[in-house]
Amino acid sequence: MANIKEKIKKNLQDNLDEKTIKKLLKVMGSWPLISFYGTMFSSVSDKYLNIISIKNIKRAYLDNSNLAYGSLFLPYELFHGLGLSPFLPEVMAGFTAGMGISAKTLKKASSGWYSQDLCTFHRSASGAVDMSLFPKPKFIICSNIACDAAQKSFYIYAKKFAISDSYYLIDVPYSENESSFKYLSAQLENIFYEISSKKKVKPDIGRLKKAILLSNEFRHWALKINEVRKELTNYPKDFNGLNFILPFFSLNGSKEGVLLYKKMYQELKDFNENKPKKKIKKILWLHLKPYYRNEIFDILEKYGLKVVFEEINHIYWQEMDPDRPFESLAKKMMSNFLNGPSDSRIKVIDKLIEEYDIDGVILFAHWGCRQSNGSIRIIKDEVKKHNIPILVLDGDCVDIKNSSVGQIKTRVEGFAEIVSSG
Amino acid sequence: MITCGIDLGSVSTEVLILEKNTTENNILSYVIIPTGSNTKEASARCLASACEKASLKKDDINAIVATGYGRVNVAFADKNITEISCHAKGVLEKFSEVRTIIDIGGQDSKVIKIDELKKPIDFLMNDKCAAGTGRFLEVMAKVLEIDISNFGEIFLSTDESVDITSTCTVFAESEIVSLIGQGAEKKTIIRGLIYSIADRIISMVERIGLEEPVCLTGGVAKNIGVKKAIEEKLGIDLLVPDEPQITGALGAAILAQKI
Repeated sequence: MANIKEKIKKNLQDNLDEKTIKKLLKVMGSWPLISFYGTMFSSVSDKYLNIISIKNIKRAYLDNSNLAYGSLFLPYELFHGLGLSPFLPEVMAGFTAGMGISAKTLKKASSGWYSQDLCTFHRSASGAVDMSLFPKPKFIICSNIACDAAQKSFYIYAKKFAISDSYYLIDVPYSENESSFKYLSAQLENIFYEISSKKKVKPDIGRLKKAILLSNEFRHWALKINEVRKELTNYPKDFNGLNFILPFFSLNGSKEGVLLYKKMYQELKDFNENKPKKKIKKILWLHLKPYYRNEIFDILEKYGLKVVFEEINHIYWQEMDPDRPFESLAKKMMSNFLNGPSDSRIKVIDKLIEEYDIDGVILFAHWGCRQSNGSIRIIKDEVKKHNIPILVLDGDCVDIKNSSVGQIKTRVEGFAEIVSSG
Repeated sequence: MITCGIDLGSVSTEVLILEKNTTENNILSYVIIPTGSNTKEASARCLASACEKASLKKDDINAIVATGYGRVNVAFADKNITEISCHAKGVLEKFSEVRTIIDIGGQDSKVIKIDELKKPIDFLMNDKCAAGTGRFLEVMAKVLEIDISNFGEIFLSTDESVDITSTCTVFAESEIVSLIGQGAEKKTIIRGLIYSIADRIISMVERIGLEEPVCLTGGVAKNIGVKKAIEEKLGIDLLVPDEPQITGALGAAILAQKI
C-alpha cells in the first residue's frame, strides 16, 4: 500500500494541475478500485475515512454544479440541507502537505503577496486557488469563529472566481444572549433561502431537518467514541484522532458521517476487547498537527505516551431540534468553545484533563494561528494547576520547511522524558 | 561501574568518563573538541581521547549515553537521552538545590526548570536563532577583530554600553560596523552585545518562571561578562560549575548508570 500511495503522490507532484487531479480521482474513485484501496488499510476507521474522503473530493472536482467552499466551524448541516457539496480549502491545505505539494502551493502564495505571517493552511489553500488546483465553487460560506484569516482569504477566492455576490460571511457574535441567537439565526435562515433562490430550487426545509437529524445521530456516535476513548489503551495501528477533521466538520448532517463514526466506535470498542490494558501515559493534544510525514507520534509511542484525546474532537453542542433548524444551528455555532473569550476554551481543557485522566498536554503552536497561540500563557497557567507538564511545540502544520526535524525531536523527546519519569 | 556520557553538539563535542563507587561519582576524564563537519568521527575521536586520558579501553566502559543534537549519530551509544534530562542531571550532581538551569551553548540556549523532587518539569529552547548563543558572540568578535576570550574582561572594564537594537545576528553585525564607523568605542559595543544576549536569556527565564538557586552552564558560561550581565538583570547570583561545558556529558554518564 505504501508503494501505491507513494506512486500517487509522485504522479501528483510531477504533474501538478487540475487535469491530473481529476484523472487521479476518476481512477481512484471508481468501484472496485476504491474498494480494493480500502482493503489495504488495517484499520476500519482509516478505510472508511479514506474511501469517503476520496468520494467526496471526487464529487467536488467532477461535478461542481452544487459546490460550495466552507471554512471550519461552520454548521455543515446547512450545506447538506441545501444539497450543496462541501469543499473545505483549509482542510485541503492539510492534504497538500500530506501529498507533498505544499512547497509549490506555498511558493505560489508567496509570489501572490500573501504574507508570510499568514497561517499556512490559508497560504497553501490560496496558492492552490491561484494555481487553479481547486475546483471552482458556486458559493462560498465562511464565518468569523476563531479564525480571522478565513474570512479574508475566502473573500479573495470569491473575487478570483467572480462570485462575490455568492460569498457569505456568517457573523457570529462574541457573547451568548437572546439577541445574539436571533441575529445569528436570521443570518442562517437568509443564507438558506437566498442560496435556494440562486440555485432556482424550492427551499427544502424537509431536507434541512433531515440533515439535522443525521447530525444528531453523528453526535450520538461521536459522543460514544469520545466516551470509550477515556478507557482505551490499545489503538489500531496509525489511528490518529487528528486525521478525522474533514468528516468531523463536513460530514455533519450526512449519512456518510453517521456510517463512518458508527464504524469507528465499533472498531475502537472491539479492538480493546480481550486485550490487556497497556500502561500508557495519557496525552491531551491541543490544536492540530503537522500533516506532512513526521515522527512526533512515533516518538511519543516509543516513550509509552499516547494521545488519548484531541480538543478538536470535543463535542461542544447539544442535540438539535429539527423543528427549529435555524435556531438550533445558531445555538450550535455559538456554543463553539473557540468563539468568545478564551475562558470557554480553558474550561473545556480543564474538563478534558480531568475526564481523560491526562498526564501531559501538548499544544501545537502552529505558525500564524493567533486565535490559538494568543492564549498560550493562560493555557499554560491553567494546565500547571493540574500539576502536569505542558509542551508548547512551535511548528507548522503545512509547511515542512518552517519546522526543523531535529528541534521538534528534541522538544518532544524532552517532554516525553519528563512525562514518563513523572 | 564505569560509564560514559557523550554530548554531541553542533559546535563542540564533550565526552566524560565517570566511575561510580559506593558513595559517589568520580570523574575519571573529560575531553572537549570542536565537532566539525563529521559528527560520527568527532564522537569516536573524542571518546578515544577520553579513554586515553583515563587510561582505559572502550571495553572497560559499562554503558554509554549520548545526548545533544547529534545524539542519534552516536552508533556505539547504548541509549540516547535529550540534553534536557542530561543537563539537569549533570547540574544537580554539582549543585543539588538548583531550581533553574540556564544553558548557553554554541548554537542554542535553553532554560530548564527543576522541581523540589529534583526532576525537570519544564523547559524552553531557543535554537531557531543564533541571537542569544555563542555563535552571536563569535560573529561579533570577528567583526570587532577582538579575541572572543577577552570579551569578559572587556565587559568588566567599562560601565558604558551601546544599545544593540537588532535582534538578528546578521543585522546586528551590520549595526556594529555602523557603530564603529560612528566612532563608538569597542568596549562599549562589547558591553552592549553582552547585554543583548542577557536580555534574550532573561526573557526565556521569565517565561519559564525564575526560581532560585539558578545555575549557568554551557561554553558561554565561561564568559564572566555574560554571567555578570545576567546576574545584574535578574538581581541574583548565579552558580557556575568549574567546567560548565561538560554538564550535559556528566548528566549523560550518570544516566548511563541506570542502563
